[in-house]
Amino acid sequence: MISFFAKSIALRRCRHGELPASICDYVNGFAGPSHFDLSLEKVRFVVFDTETTGFDCGKDLVISIGAIALDGLQINVEDSFEVLVRRESVGDCEAVTTHGLLLRDLHEGSDENDAVTGFLQYIRNSVLVAQHADFDVAMINRILKQRYRIELFNQVIDTASLAKRLEKGPYYNLAHKGGEYRLDVLLERYNIRLYDRHTAAGDAFLTAQLFQMLLMKARHAGIKTLREMLLK
Amino acid sequence: MPSNTIVERVVADLQKYPPFDELAPDILQELAESVSLTYHEEGEILFRKGDTLKKHAFMVMKGAVRLFDNVDGKEVLVDLCDEGDIFGVRAIFAHQDYVLTAQVAEESLLFELPVDKIRHLLETNPRVSLFFAGAFAKSVEEIEHTLTEAFGIGQHLYREQSCNSFLQNETLEVKPVTDVITCSPDITIREAARIMSERNIGSIIIVSPQKHPLGIITDTDLTKKVVSRPGSIKEEPVSSIMSSPVYTISGGKTIADMVMLMVKTKLRHFCMTEDGSPDSAVTGIISEHDIITSEGNNPAVIMKAIMQASDRDQLKEQRDITENLLQVYMEQEVAVHFISNIVTEINDAIITRAIDFSLKELEREMEFVRPDVDFCWLSLGSEGRKEQLLRTDQDNAILYAEPAAGDKEEVHEYFLALGGKVTGILQHCGFVACPADVMASNPMWCQPLSVWKSYFSRWIVTPEPKAVMHSTIFFDFRPVFGQAKLAAELKQEIFNLIAKNRGFLGFFAKNALQNPPPLGFFRNFLVEKSRDHANEFDIKARAMMPLSDAARVLAYEQKIPEYFSTVERFKRLQVLVPGMKELGAEAAAGYEFLMRLRAVNGLVNVSSGRYIKPETLNKIERQNLRNVFSTIEKVQKALNLRFQLDYIRD
Repeated sequence: MISFFAKSIALRRCRHGELPASICDYVNGFAGPSHFDLSLEKVRFVVFDTETTGFDCGKDLVISIGAIALDGLQINVEDSFEVLVRRESVGDCEAVTTHGLLLRDLHEGSDENDAVTGFLQYIRNSVLVAQHADFDVAMINRILKQRYRIELFNQVIDTASLAKRLEKGPYYNLAHKGGEYRLDVLLERYNIRLYDRHTAAGDAFLTAQLFQMLLMKARHAGIKTLREMLLK
Repeated sequence: MPSNTIVERVVADLQKYPPFDELAPDILQELAESVSLTYHEEGEILFRKGDTLKKHAFMVMKGAVRLFDNVDGKEVLVDLCDEGDIFGVRAIFAHQDYVLTAQVAEESLLFELPVDKIRHLLETNPRVSLFFAGAFAKSVEEIEHTLTEAFGIGQHLYREQSCNSFLQNETLEVKPVTDVITCSPDITIREAARIMSERNIGSIIIVSPQKHPLGIITDTDLTKKVVSRPGSIKEEPVSSIMSSPVYTISGGKTIADMVMLMVKTKLRHFCMTEDGSPDSAVTGIISEHDIITSEGNNPAVIMKAIMQASDRDQLKEQRDITENLLQVYMEQEVAVHFISNIVTEINDAIITRAIDFSLKELEREMEFVRPDVDFCWLSLGSEGRKEQLLRTDQDNAILYAEPAAGDKEEVHEYFLALGGKVTGILQHCGFVACPADVMASNPMWCQPLSVWKSYFSRWIVTPEPKAVMHSTIFFDFRPVFGQAKLAAELKQEIFNLIAKNRGFLGFFAKNALQNPPPLGFFRNFLVEKSRDHANEFDIKARAMMPLSDAARVLAYEQKIPEYFSTVERFKRLQVLVPGMKELGAEAAAGYEFLMRLRAVNGLVNVSSGRYIKPETLNKIERQNLRNVFSTIEKVQKALNLRFQLDYIRD
């Protein structure tokens, strides 16, 4: 419901010219009715990942976004996205060792606004997919809120929850054994060859391969439409 | 703009397998951008026989896909594709439907490669075009029948790196032969053959009155189409046997162009015309020989140096140079039969010179007076079969005419001394002494004709498995120096003995069957268990010997008088043995592939090349090896059938 109001407000602001055209292109993509009854093979999913200066949604910053689409159940390399965000800081030591990006790299990145606008243009109204999606969505939303007072309107699927749901049923308590659903563990369990991990685009690519397998599993479990997938 | 990181990862995956392993980064990147990844579960059908072709080919990144045909309601497995294998490439060339069904054999991740992208690559990249134009482009069903072709491709791609640089850098123009000998289509075959032998040329072009090329006759045509056929075909017009149309080209072709053309067309002669089409006058001819020799690695130089050598050190030097030449040839994908002919000629020249030196030394030493008895130097085993590319153990013998009764001792002593000297020089040149001491320096293997006849008589009349095994090497004798008629007489005696002792061929055949091809070769190589060569594959015992043994048995059964190589034997057997036409070609091609594989392996590891580490083989080599094993199996089956029948008859 809240998202419905937020959507209406954003659409109105667009009509009144209160948001830039590039943002409105994105917002207008949600003007029609939802496409929940589409069968899964007709849906465009965008699997994405962000790298950040740290793990505090309130304080840390996005330094790169990577994404790849899964459309008609196939991953098209051509339909992918990657952006580095220009920053003054690369975050604490721990984060730097994780994402491996140095300040030098980030100086070559895009301005935050261009990065996030580009991302919105790329994802359109597709269903977003990410590993531990809440965190990545929150990171993007913070930028959108600060700049435009909007949030992502897309439907979101978390691969960790989906894997858990398909493997254990919907009532399994993830909190107890969080470790089993870390990306590394999932990739290994699903026999997906690891490349050098921890670039946003690289992780998005791996997550997409994981999601592709989970989708197949889901279809076997009788999940045929987006509605069933999203438990709407 | 697609994500660079992701494109690079796809590039890294593609790059692991031919033909993408040698593509330029920018080209590969463009291809990678167009790739789609799909995931499939076991049992899924990707396409069915008769389905319309898709807009993409498939490459297995993980898992396995089986391709099968339906014959009379039964599934016949044609191929199993695993990581790095490309299938469904029919879509690139053909416009009809799939001829096989593709089913996911185990959970698979596939790359889909758009057909238009591959077509574009074919046009711009010779290596890729070779790859796809070969075995992989055919329906796999056809692969089995066109193994020769597949090997052509495989051979060409053998050393990708050097091949690539060769093709790119080699811009030298091939000089055509411009005083082309032509004839009109109505002269007789006999006349054409006379012209060819008089002019000492390997081919003659048949032209219209306007000098437009109509067809070509090569020496191969003469042997295949004329000699092997009964009747008085020689009086028929040349047009009845000429190959037509002739492959015509325009002038200004580079070596790279010609090598490509040779590989692609499998032809050895190309006719140059004024405008490159068959509807203009002939201006020149380019043959395989011209192409090879224009590379500046003229073995004639080595031959000349050998002939002019004044001591054994110079012989050794030239043999070392030959090894370099061999390497160059290998890298330039020169046909194995050509290389082995050259190496054999050089080896023979070295032997001849070694004998010259030794005869002179004996003369100088005065201790020995050369008896007035003809003799013949025999090369045995692989050298006898003209198959020695790398220097391996020497196997040789001396055969001499019957001396007068009183001179026996003296004559034997003389030739033994000769054998000792010659084998010593050969050893100096890098031909290691035979561990079993099958050498002319061994009194047992330096004997007059009568003794040699009695040896063979013993092996043939009272064969026992072990003796047969040890004697195969002698059945491949070839005269290198001296009176070849002695060797011919010995060979005739062997044919006579075999005719009187049919059972022998059974033993001989049984011996040839004792090394069955490795089965279940698909994922796991059958490797040696012995400590010295653990986890290595014995290409000689496991792949080459089964073929050379089979060829020998059949060659003796068919009384082939020539001193042939295994490949030549198979080619002749194609004509002589009913039902061997295709199998013979397959086996010949397979054997050449093995020779090359062994030689390259030997050059890389500075060894005899006999033991191969399976993991060092690339995809194409493994594919070819797999094909060879199926060929060996077929050859052995044929042999088995043939000689079991003989047992029943006896």
